[in-house]
Amino acid sequence: MILRMSRARVLGPRALLPRTLEALQDLGFVHLSAPVSAAALVRGSLTPRELRLERQLRRILDDVETAVALVGRPQASAAPPAPPAAPPWTAWARSARRTRREAERLQARTQALGEERALLAKYQEVMTAFGGLFQRGVAPGVRAYLVVLRAGQGTSVERLRALLDVALRKDYELRTHPLAGGELVLLLLVPVGKAEHVERLLAESAVEQVPLPRGYEGQSLTDALPRMVQRLRAIPAELEELAARRSRMSERMAALAPAPAAIHDRLGQLEGLRLSASSAHAFVLEGWVPTTNLPDLIVRLAERVGPEVAVEELAAEQWTAEAPVVLQNPRLFRPFQLLVGTLPLPRYGTIDPTPFVAIFFPLFFGLMVGDVGYGLVLALIGLVLRLRSRPSTPLRAISEIAIGCALFTLVFGVLFGEFFGDLGRRWFAMRPLVLDREEPRDIVSFLGLCVALGLVHVVLGLALGVASAFRGHRRQAVGRGLSALMILLIAAALLAALRVLPHALLTPVVVALLVLFPLLVAAEGLVAPVELLSTVGNILSYARIMALGTASVMLAVIANRLAGAVGSLAVGVVFGLLFHLVNFMLAMFSPTIHGLRLHYVEFFGRFYSPGGVQYRPFRHWRTT
Amino acid sequence: MQIFWITLSAAVAIAIPTLATAWAQSRIGPAAAASLAEKPELSTTVIVMLAIPETMSILGFVVAMFIMLRAGG
Repeated sequence: MILRMSRARVLGPRALLPRTLEALQDLGFVHLSAPVSAAALVRGSLTPRELRLERQLRRILDDVETAVALVGRPQASAAPPAPPAAPPWTAWARSARRTRREAERLQARTQALGEERALLAKYQEVMTAFGGLFQRGVAPGVRAYLVVLRAGQGTSVERLRALLDVALRKDYELRTHPLAGGELVLLLLVPVGKAEHVERLLAESAVEQVPLPRGYEGQSLTDALPRMVQRLRAIPAELEELAARRSRMSERMAALAPAPAAIHDRLGQLEGLRLSASSAHAFVLEGWVPTTNLPDLIVRLAERVGPEVAVEELAAEQWTAEAPVVLQNPRLFRPFQLLVGTLPLPRYGTIDPTPFVAIFFPLFFGLMVGDVGYGLVLALIGLVLRLRSRPSTPLRAISEIAIGCALFTLVFGVLFGEFFGDLGRRWFAMRPLVLDREEPRDIVSFLGLCVALGLVHVVLGLALGVASAFRGHRRQAVGRGLSALMILLIAAALLAALRVLPHALLTPVVVALLVLFPLLVAAEGLVAPVELLSTVGNILSYARIMALGTASVMLAVIANRLAGAVGSLAVGVVFGLLFHLVNFMLAMFSPTIHGLRLHYVEFFGRFYSPGGVQYRPFRHWRTT
Repeated sequence: MQIFWITLSAAVAIAIPTLATAWAQSRIGPAAAASLAEKPELSTTVIVMLAIPETMSILGFVVAMFIMLRAGG
């Protein structure tokens, strides 16, 4: 349900406004909003000094957040300490700026070293291949060339060798080394005196020389490669030193740990000032309070600030803005708020669909999967997730939804007599208690059950739509009520035509439909017949429960039969398990998506009114 | 011969809606990917949007099954 809110107006002497804001922030349950404008009231604004402070606080916050992002949070597991009573803004500003700059320098240096290491590593393969040679050093008077031949150009080596034989009369040394990528590296050592001739030869033969990285250009290969090796060895130590500096810096940042909370709180107070209004001598603050907290607000504000500050509740007719929305549901339904929360919040004064989702979503899921074996596996997964999650986290909610779905899956598994498909029947003599989803005749009954369930769900949606629209839009409420009634009459007419209901009912029901039709058009306009047809289509859409359920059980049965058809027992068991695993994953994904779809499209479409305002109480900042 | 036509009818009853679903999803997919790039919080809505055209396949499946059941298959 949506928590009932009251609009409270706080009035007091202007001098007490800062203290009142502090007290409201301590209480932490008032959602401030701009007060009604009046001739004598001036909207709250900040003084130049407060504006300067606000800019400074935002800069400090930006510096601290950037430094934390670059260096890491100090003592990540511990909660940040409470902000001091008189925050040292100037000291924090200096420290945050210095820390940010240092963190940025560290980051830039680490990045540069990483890039240098990656670049040099590309030469490492060549260095490893000819390492011994370069470590010993090339003899004086000898020049070295490194040449890369692309994959498939290996024959060029022999051609080059033949050219060199002629040009240098075997006064050279040529070594080759294949690279991992398929290229071939050639190391050519020639006397310095013949270098010019060799370079011309290499250019004419159009082979590609390995360029040296930046910082080593202009050096000979024999000088550059050993230096590159040394540099590559030195980089890890430099990176370690940088990591140690970062770690020391992270410890120093502990002094800034209380800063974010203090800054957010002060910024909140400044925002509170903007949301106030004042006359020459008095101030006005307005906001939304959960109705149950209103007496508490009156008493505690008087205690904290004094009897000069008065709180009054505004009647609903005086509300100038829409109240914020807080969804509050019993413990059992609360995890399903996660599913409703994926849509925009419902408007205040409309209906929170969470309790209905909490009942129908696991019901649909259970109907679709309906297998004791899959239910047990899902329950196990849900329990493990629950044990590994913290309270009030999305993971905890997911685990509890999974457990709810698993329970319904188990119940329907027993009713359908399914345990990993037909294994229960073969091994434990399980029998279907209600429906046998493998039997063609029962499949039709299953379809009827699903469509009937759709009828109930959609008509319930229409009824909720009537309740939701009754206060503000009477005509719309009448239209939805007529739609619900006509849907029920259409169902009755169909059942009477099929002789499920007494055939004598057919004529009066059709007459009633003919009478109601013009009333519906009068209430909702010419679009009403289209809407009515769309509603009938929505009910038929629940046939997906049968389709997905049948597909799931058929796949499980096929998994068992294929496993049995394999000659070897071990291979058969592994094959069957794999097939069941795939079917289990499908059985988790599709029913979830289609269950959600049935709610969001077919059910919510009848009554859900999105666009609610998020409840943001004015309170102390807390990390999430 | 009759079983051939029954099977063919059931196959057509599911094949055509499934092709239509595939076409619709191929149009929704890129739009959904573009939306998610800008607003990742829309992921659930996008998944549900992708599931909407599957109604055609599912109803095709129901019709195909009725054809088979009516024919005693």
